[in-house]
Amino acid sequence: MSQNIISEEKVFNELKKAVVETLRVDADKINPETSLIKDLGAESLDFLDINYRLEQAFGIKMARHFVLEHIEEMFGEGTAIDENGQLTDKAVETLRIRFGNGVSELKPGMDMDEVPALLTTQSMVRGVMDILDSLSEKCSKCGSSGWESKDTVRITCASCGEPATFTNGDELIKEWLTKVQEDKKIF
Amino acid sequence: MLPLKDKVALITGSSRGIGNAIARKCAYAGADIVINYRKTGGTSQEQGGQLCKEIEGIGRRAFMVQADIAVKDSVKKLFAETNEKFGRLDYLILNAAKAPFKPFEKLFERELRQLVETNYLGNIFCIQEALPLLEKSSGKIVFISSLGSRFYNPAYPLGSMKAAMESVVRDCAEGLRSKKILVNAVCGGIVKTDSFKVLRQYWEHIDMLPDTLFVEPDEIADVVVFLCSTESRAITGQTIIVDRGLSNAICRLPEVKSKE
Repeated sequence: MSQNIISEEKVFNELKKAVVETLRVDADKINPETSLIKDLGAESLDFLDINYRLEQAFGIKMARHFVLEHIEEMFGEGTAIDENGQLTDKAVETLRIRFGNGVSELKPGMDMDEVPALLTTQSMVRGVMDILDSLSEKCSKCGSSGWESKDTVRITCASCGEPATFTNGDELIKEWLTKVQEDKKIF
Repeated sequence: MLPLKDKVALITGSSRGIGNAIARKCAYAGADIVINYRKTGGTSQEQGGQLCKEIEGIGRRAFMVQADIAVKDSVKKLFAETNEKFGRLDYLILNAAKAPFKPFEKLFERELRQLVETNYLGNIFCIQEALPLLEKSSGKIVFISSLGSRFYNPAYPLGSMKAAMESVVRDCAEGLRSKKILVNAVCGGIVKTDSFKVLRQYWEHIDMLPDTLFVEPDEIADVVVFLCSTESRAITGQTIIVDRGLSNAICRLPEVKSKE
C-alpha cells in the first residue's frame, strides 16, 4: 500500500545524513543527481554502510543484490552480463525501464563494473520509498489500519504502537522483475 | 629496541580495515611500509594516503602502490616498485581479500572464478614474486585468515579460500624452510571493520554477541608483528587463532554480570 506518512523529502534528508556520516562529505555537496561513486568517491563497502544506516533509521531491509544479479538469478547466468563482463541488450532494456531513459550512459556492451556509478541519490531514495510503500494494510498485532510516525522516520501502529513491517528490497526487485517480464517478455 | 627496526613490510590490501591496522603497527614497530590498494580514485586510495602521511609523521618511510593481486602483471609491478623504492623486503603480509557474499549454490561462474583468482591465485602470485626479495632477507610471510576457514558463516564462500590458504601456509613453510623463510597465518575472529558491515547484512542477530568477543584490528596486528619479530623464530607453518575465545565453545550462555 502506498504510504504518505514519510515524505520523499524526509527520505532524502535521512539519506543525506547517512552519506555525510559514511563518506564525511559536506551535506551541501549532495543533491538528487549526485552519483555516490562518481561524485563522492564511494566504494561498494561504503554502500553497505549507507544501507545499514538507512535500515536502522527506517526499520527496513534494503536490497542485498542489484537488479542485474536478480536478472541472472531468475533467467540464468549470461542473460544480463556476457562472458566479457559487459551488459547485454536485454539488461540495458530492463535497466532503462527501471531507471528511465534519462540515464544516457547506459548502453549494451558497457562494463558491468561501471553500472553502479550511474546510481544517484535519487535512485536510492526511490529504493527506500518503494520499500516504505510495501507497508501492510493492517497492523499484524492488533489489526488496526492506522499508521503514524512520531517525530521520527519509523512508522508504527497508531493504536498499539507495534512497528510496521515491510517487504525487503530484494523481494521487491524480484516482484518488479516478474511483472516486467510478464508485460514485456524481455527474457 | 623496536622489533622490526629498519625492515620493510608490504601489506596487501592495507588502505582500510585490518590491513590498515597491521601497516600502522608494523610502522610503529620500526618498519618501512609498502601500502597496497586496488581501487583508484575512491575512499581506499584516500584512506591509504592518510595512513601514508601518518607513517611518515612518525619518521618511517611509506609509499603506496596500486595493484590488483589477482592480475599477475600487476603483482610483478608491485614487487618491482617495492624493490626500486626500498631495495629490500622483509615481511610479506597477505591480507587482501575480495569475495561475493552469497551461498555457494548461488554463485555465478564469474563470481567463483573471481573468488579463486583473488583469494587463492592472487596470494600465491604474491608469494612467488616476493621470493627473490624474501630469500635475500630471510624474510617472513604472514597470511591473514579468518574463522571462516573452519566454521560455517552465512553467505561466506571466502572461508573455503581461507582454508585453502592455511594449507598453502603449511606447505610453503616446509617448501621454503631451506631458504630460511618462515610462513605463518593469523586467523582472526569477528572484527568490526569494513567487512563486518557485510557480515552484519547476512547474520541477523550478530549484534547480540557480547562486545567482549569482538576482536580489535590492533589485536590481530599485534600478533602479526610478533610473527614478524625474532621472538617467533621457532614458529612456522602455523595458523594462530586470535578470536578472544569465540571458537572455543559450542554453546554460549548469556554473559551474567558479576555482582559488585
